[in-house]
Amino acid sequence: MSSPYDVVVIGGGMSGLMAAISLVEKGRNVAVISKGDPVCCLSTGCIDLFSRGDDPIGGIELLPDYHPYRLIGVERVKESLDIFQDIMRVAGLPYVGDLRVNRKILTPFGTDKITCLVPETMESADCDPDEYIHVISFKGLKDFYPSYITSGHVNSGYSIFDAGVSSTSAIAERFEDKDFLQEFISWLLNLSLPDGKIAFPAVLGTRSSMSIFNEISNRLERDIFEIPTIPPSIPGERLFNRFKNLFLEKGGSLYWGKEIASVEKLGGRIEAVTLSTRGRPTRVQGTLFILATGSFVSGGLYASMDDVRETVFDLETYLPGERKDWFNEDFFIPGHTIEKAGIRVDSTLRPLDSEFSNLFVCGSILAFTEVMKYGCGHGTAIATGVAAANMCEELL
Amino acid sequence: MESDFQHCIRCTICVENCPVFRVNPEFPGPKQAGPDTERFRCDEETSLDKWIGLCSQCKRCEIACPYGVNPAEIILREQLSYGEKHFRPLANRLFANNYYLGTFSSALALFVNKFASLTFIKKVMNVFGLSTYMPFPGFYVHSLGRSWRWKGRRNSPRKVVFFYGCYLNFNRPDIGRGIRDLLASLGLKVVMPKQVCCGLPALGNGDIKTARKFARRNAEILAGYIDKGYDVIYACTSCGLTLTHDYPGILNIPSGKKIAENTYNLNEYLVKLIDEDYIKPEFAPVDLKVAYHIPCHLRASGIGYPAASLFEKIPGLEYHVLDDHCCGLSGSYGFKRKNQETAIKLGRTAAATLKACNPDYIVSDCGACRMQLGHFAGLPALDPSEIVMRSLANPAKITKK
Ligand SMILES: Cc1cc2nc3c(=O)[nH]c(=O)nc-3n(C[C@H](O)[C@H](O)[C@H](O)COP(=O)(O)OP(=O)(O)OC[C@H]3O[C@@H](n4cnc5c(N)ncnc54)[C@H](O)[C@@H]3O)c2cc1C
Ligand code: SF4
Ligand code: SF4
Repeated sequence: MSSPYDVVVIGGGMSGLMAAISLVEKGRNVAVISKGDPVCCLSTGCIDLFSRGDDPIGGIELLPDYHPYRLIGVERVKESLDIFQDIMRVAGLPYVGDLRVNRKILTPFGTDKITCLVPETMESADCDPDEYIHVISFKGLKDFYPSYITSGHVNSGYSIFDAGVSSTSAIAERFEDKDFLQEFISWLLNLSLPDGKIAFPAVLGTRSSMSIFNEISNRLERDIFEIPTIPPSIPGERLFNRFKNLFLEKGGSLYWGKEIASVEKLGGRIEAVTLSTRGRPTRVQGTLFILATGSFVSGGLYASMDDVRETVFDLETYLPGERKDWFNEDFFIPGHTIEKAGIRVDSTLRPLDSEFSNLFVCGSILAFTEVMKYGCGHGTAIATGVAAANMCEELL
Repeated sequence: MESDFQHCIRCTICVENCPVFRVNPEFPGPKQAGPDTERFRCDEETSLDKWIGLCSQCKRCEIACPYGVNPAEIILREQLSYGEKHFRPLANRLFANNYYLGTFSSALALFVNKFASLTFIKKVMNVFGLSTYMPFPGFYVHSLGRSWRWKGRRNSPRKVVFFYGCYLNFNRPDIGRGIRDLLASLGLKVVMPKQVCCGLPALGNGDIKTARKFARRNAEILAGYIDKGYDVIYACTSCGLTLTHDYPGILNIPSGKKIAENTYNLNEYLVKLIDEDYIKPEFAPVDLKVAYHIPCHLRASGIGYPAASLFEKIPGLEYHVLDDHCCGLSGSYGFKRKNQETAIKLGRTAAATLKACNPDYIVSDCGACRMQLGHFAGLPALDPSEIVMRSLANPAKITKK
């Protein structure tokens, strides 16, 4: 469909696409603009809801009331993750898990990652300590370390297959070839492995991952599972691609690869945005707008030496204290102060202190999300994305 | 917008998106071929990156990179510098001058078409570095460049120059004439002045001098018309990307910016005319199911997928928009023997995804995509305008199979 759109979503990450899919499913005319692929493509593809405890929903109930989860309400969070699971089941990339119970998946370093919903290819990743696991890797693959995994899990072993190629994307592409898959399965059968599970780096196909996974599992007559690699991450890419294609299949419009060049305002409303090209900027007009440009990693927020800015609408950005307070030798500690930075919104996801009446904000650009502190990345993205779509629905 | 390797955070998103990297282990991928190696390249030194030519310039890495690094352009610069300093193989020389080849072949169309299909000639082509996994496109005596006798509407407040490009000119002049007539029937004044190749085949074959020569000639003609109030319209999305992205960019044509600002994709223009209420076409039902393959260079143009907006208006038309795959031909890329295997693998994958929709036709805005996907899917492949013309009851000769 074409401009003017009912809703223009800026940012094609989990949050923006979730909002966009919810809206096109209701028959709305929606555009998604994104300057590039989102951090989802680097993620494990697993949905962290709240990873600092056994019970994610219970944990969310205890969060401060200004956290985005609490702003939209715990019931809404649950509903949105149910919607996500329904969508993914229909889309052929089913996710499993229980919103009340966190689960463990293995990482390529042999450590555990706590998460909530996982693609079916990781369902069996939560292993008993004494259960036998056989790890498979591929010759030359640099993003995966079988010996780390086996050293952390005593009852285990590993074998290496030569796929003729050595990068995650090239191996995943090989699995899409039926002959290659058969050759691989024959090799596995010939290994005559002891009873137990088999673990693979997450390279078992791109488009057809579920059927490839099921075929290997059925032929070997045992539980198998994938371990996400360090980026490039195929499960993250699968999730993103499925999401993007769902949006396209339902008639959504995509503008990919260009940044927002300018914003047209009209009497307290956003009228249109333009995309930067080397020629005439592309103009995209809408009734309502959703900002889902992510945090610092994706460029939704930009930090200079003396300022932190929201990059599209120059919205008022919340900063936790002064710059000197942000210093911490360990960036990756959960709870780094800078993680609180972002756009503050009210319970309808409208930015506070903003001149625009037709703008909603969702995803990791929201202030106080603290993705690393709480382990809530895709969870907040999905929940606030659905919530932003609902807010738009009320106005359309 | 300008490529800057220093902005690369090594996230590998471009690598995940590179079709060539996925199927050809010889190519190190956009991150390594682009920003990673760029920091070690010196202007004075001869490039040693032999694999640089394996990049097909599909631009998928550029579209995916969230940090504005633009690996495709870093690689293109290196391809050109490599081309300048090394002997360019015959196949590259041939395709860079694709326009002359087309002019020659059209003049002798009957002979050339027959000649190119002979088994013996195919063997000779292989020896000279050309791939022959699918037939070369046929040529027509009545190329578009020879339509000078056509006089459209004398005057109209809306005036357009149709930049038809080599493929429509030499290989599918029927589509080109259809587009011309469609635009005229909508009340526009249409002109098709003498024009040359947009320059992309030369750019893609390491020959910036030839590319600039073509670009300057076109720029002079097009800028003249723009000054007289004309808009430029293209149908081929690769010509379009060259006019709007490379004329003001890497080719550095003085009037490049002006051309880029006044040049429109055909379907984008139709949508614009409808939005402005300049035309109110009545779309008649078209009872077809089509799989619409988005050419990589349309994605890279940053104008969305305007043909899909037109399809939306056509009652009865079931269309599926697919943008995940490069067709693998990439202009002349797949016609080179060293890229044959890559092109075949990518073509098969893209065709299979289209066929999974079970369509009557494949649709795509790019002639090369249509050739390749039509070949691998075994289905007729149409330009979007052929669907639009059918709905607007233009005398387009397409029938449901
Ligand atoms: C390396 C890494 C691994 C992670 N792993 C996990 C995991 O395993 N599980 C989990 O639950 N969470 C994980 N997270 C967190 C999670 O991925 C994010 O919190 C969440 O996906 C954010 O989604 P988003 O839609 O809000 O933003 P993003 O995914 O950041 O998307 C924002 C989009 O907006 C676009 N954009 C930005 N600025 C502009 C502009 N000016 N114009 C146009 N477009 C713009 C960007 O290109 C991007 O596509 C991980 C994060 C990182 C960095
Ligand atoms: S070029 Fe862009 S996409 Fe590729 S690794 Fe660098 S930052 Fe990431
Ligand atoms: S332009 Fe295409 S082929 Fe070249 S590096 Fe980028 S993605 Fe790969």
